Amino acid sequence: MKYETQKIAYQYFVAATLLFGLQVIFGLLTGAKYVWDYDPLMNIIPFNTSRAIHINLLVVWLLIGFMGGTYYLVPEEAETDIYSPRLAAVQLYLFVAIGVAAIIGYLAGWSWGMPFLEQPTVLKFGIVIVALIFLFNIFMTMMKTKKWTVIQGVLLGGLVMLALLFLFGIFFVRNLSTQYYWWWWVIHLWVEGAWELVAGSIIAFILLKMTGVDRELVEKWLYVEVGLVLFTGIAGTGHHYYWIGTPGYWLWVGGIFSALEPVPILFMVFDTLRDVREKKIEIENKIPLYWAVGSAVMHFLGAGVWGFAHTLPQINKWTHGTQVTASHGHFAFFGAYVMINLTMIYFAVPRITGVVRKGHGRSLVALRFMVFSIFFMVLALAIAGIVQSYLQRILGMDYLTTQDYLKLWYAVMWVSGWGVVTGVFIYIFDFFSMGRPPKITA
Amino acid sequence: MTLSQGRAIFIWGTVISTVIFLGLTYDSISKMPKRTHAEELSDAVADGKWTWQRYNCNDCHTILGIGGYYAPDLTKVMSQRDPEWTKQFLKDPHKVWPAKRRMPNLHLTDNEIGNLVAFLTWVNGIDTNGWPPKPMAVAAAGSTPLPGEAVFRAQGCSACHKLNGVGGDIGPDLTHVGSTRTPDWIKQQLENPRSHFPNSPMPSFSKLSPKDMKDLVDFLSSLK
Ligand code: HEM
Ligand code: HEM
Ligand SMILES: [Fe+2]
Repeated sequence: MKYETQKIAYQYFVAATLLFGLQVIFGLLTGAKYVWDYDPLMNIIPFNTSRAIHINLLVVWLLIGFMGGTYYLVPEEAETDIYSPRLAAVQLYLFVAIGVAAIIGYLAGWSWGMPFLEQPTVLKFGIVIVALIFLFNIFMTMMKTKKWTVIQGVLLGGLVMLALLFLFGIFFVRNLSTQYYWWWWVIHLWVEGAWELVAGSIIAFILLKMTGVDRELVEKWLYVEVGLVLFTGIAGTGHHYYWIGTPGYWLWVGGIFSALEPVPILFMVFDTLRDVREKKIEIENKIPLYWAVGSAVMHFLGAGVWGFAHTLPQINKWTHGTQVTASHGHFAFFGAYVMINLTMIYFAVPRITGVVRKGHGRSLVALRFMVFSIFFMVLALAIAGIVQSYLQRILGMDYLTTQDYLKLWYAVMWVSGWGVVTGVFIYIFDFFSMGRPPKITA
Repeated sequence: MTLSQGRAIFIWGTVISTVIFLGLTYDSISKMPKRTHAEELSDAVADGKWTWQRYNCNDCHTILGIGGYYAPDLTKVMSQRDPEWTKQFLKDPHKVWPAKRRMPNLHLTDNEIGNLVAFLTWVNGIDTNGWPPKPMAVAAAGSTPLPGEAVFRAQGCSACHKLNGVGGDIGPDLTHVGSTRTPDWIKQQLENPRSHFPNSPMPSFSKLSPKDMKDLVDFLSSLK
């Protein structure tokens, strides 16, 4: 750590870590409702509430992690302290408060009711304020020195894009098809656009710092990768416009562009491996590197391979709206954004706390537990989804009847879910054993 | 490759894709009112959409294939179900359809229920480029089902009765009902179930139009 104010990131990582734990517990609760027909909690936490909390916590903790990562990264790149650490703290408390209000609201039946964007409108405006404070603070920090690196530029670009896109998810539209048209600008253009920019620049920063390869090399490839991500991903939004009341040409445009989306993700794998191979400095703490390489591979499998598998309209027609989508959603979010956040945390936290640990076995146990369990979980969901598509779309079986045939795979999903939770709790324990930051002086 | 070539890829990649995407967005938004027969999007439909959102239906059910996968997709549900049946179902789901996986009673008002049915009826008319696809097996068989089969489906009979292994256990299996009951007996059962079984939980279907009733009786009688 070079700048005192980078410490502010630690609080963000604490919040992210705890919410991650809560998220997977709600995953188990949601999954249990598939395994047992009778739901004793049906009138207290029904499936929809439980699912909303599970996926909201996911998005919120990942965003908090990205913000923490940004607060850690920007001072080092811009070579100056954070403009206002106090504002950064206020922003975190406000965000967490809104998150808590949203969850209590869901439990009380207060919802805006579009998936992932269930937050009631007042709370959405609160989130906009949080985003504005955050962007202001980051921008002012960068303006202090006006040292623009490519890593910083891509990061800022990703964050601004992320905030702007959220605006398309705030307003009520009378026409369901149009509402969903804009809804995908948030959901798709986040994970296959803005978030890739944020994650890409964070990974570039970590690889640069850890391996000591030339900045020019890292930044050149960062440009190429995010350039191809946006080239394929923006028009690739069309893979969600096949069946929602949109014109037929999206079957072509969405199919062709989105089929190319795995290309930049594959580049990222090569890029990561090359940086590690050509490292110029001896790496003492290899943990973040394990996570970075793991993430590159899992990102490619979950988003690239699993995404490609159902992105062409000829296939999507049969799998759309089945457990195939759930399988891909879990794999991609985990491989890309969960693992990148944990990479950042394992990179930054020891540098903030200054605690040097002998051995790092526990982190790798957490990594293995999570990766293997998620893998079984998404395999079970993929099988469930393929069987479901067959029974429902080929044989014409009624939806509820198909569910009886999927029980076994739901059980495998749920048991694997316990493996994920175990891995996450080992990680949480490990996180808190990395020490605390020394008190901020001044 | 140099840094400035990398930057060029970034800029041009982004610009080209954005231009294509925004252009098609403009075109789509101008064509979607027609494809979604927006002229029929009444206030009741919009209120129904809001009710749909307020109760967070979408985190259990998919609609247009998007949402939770826990409950049936509702995009084309109104081609399958009768509006009256749907209203009764929404009033008390488990009573009308005692499925193993239950839908909670949301305690909706009659007004909300009416709006929801208007909303789902409107959604049913959206041109979805043929999604969900016609089941391949049915499409291949090419058989035209008897009109009574549609009535059977719309009235939700399979909530209680099995046909060829599919359906509930509340009432008897109807796979071969035509070989044990006469058409007149079936008609009587539909109009007044208690005349045959004094404690029957089965509702009366005397509200069916004469044509639907005849089609349904013909269909059931054909099940030998
Ligand atoms: C890290 C990047 C990605 C993440 C986090 C992600 C996540 C998701 C999620 C959560 C959904 C479900 C949304 C919903 O309906 O609720 C989804 C849908 C989908 N994704 Fe991805 N995705 C990623 C990348 C990709 C890529 C690269 C492709 C294609 C090559 C792809 C193809 C699809 C398709 C086709 C669907 C629609 C599935 C359906 O028809 O129901 N995704 N994605
Ligand atoms: C204990 C482990 C977990 C279990 C048992 C679990 C279970 C579930 C269930 C049952 C759903 C609802 C699917 C539906 O709508 O039918 C769901 C949704 C979702 N979960 Fe998890 N989950 C777990 C962990 C995770 C993790 C670690 C992530 C992120 C990497 C995640 C991301 C998601 C996403 C993105 C969705 C929405 C999927 C979509 O729209 O297609 N879950 N989860
Ligand atoms: Fe997408």
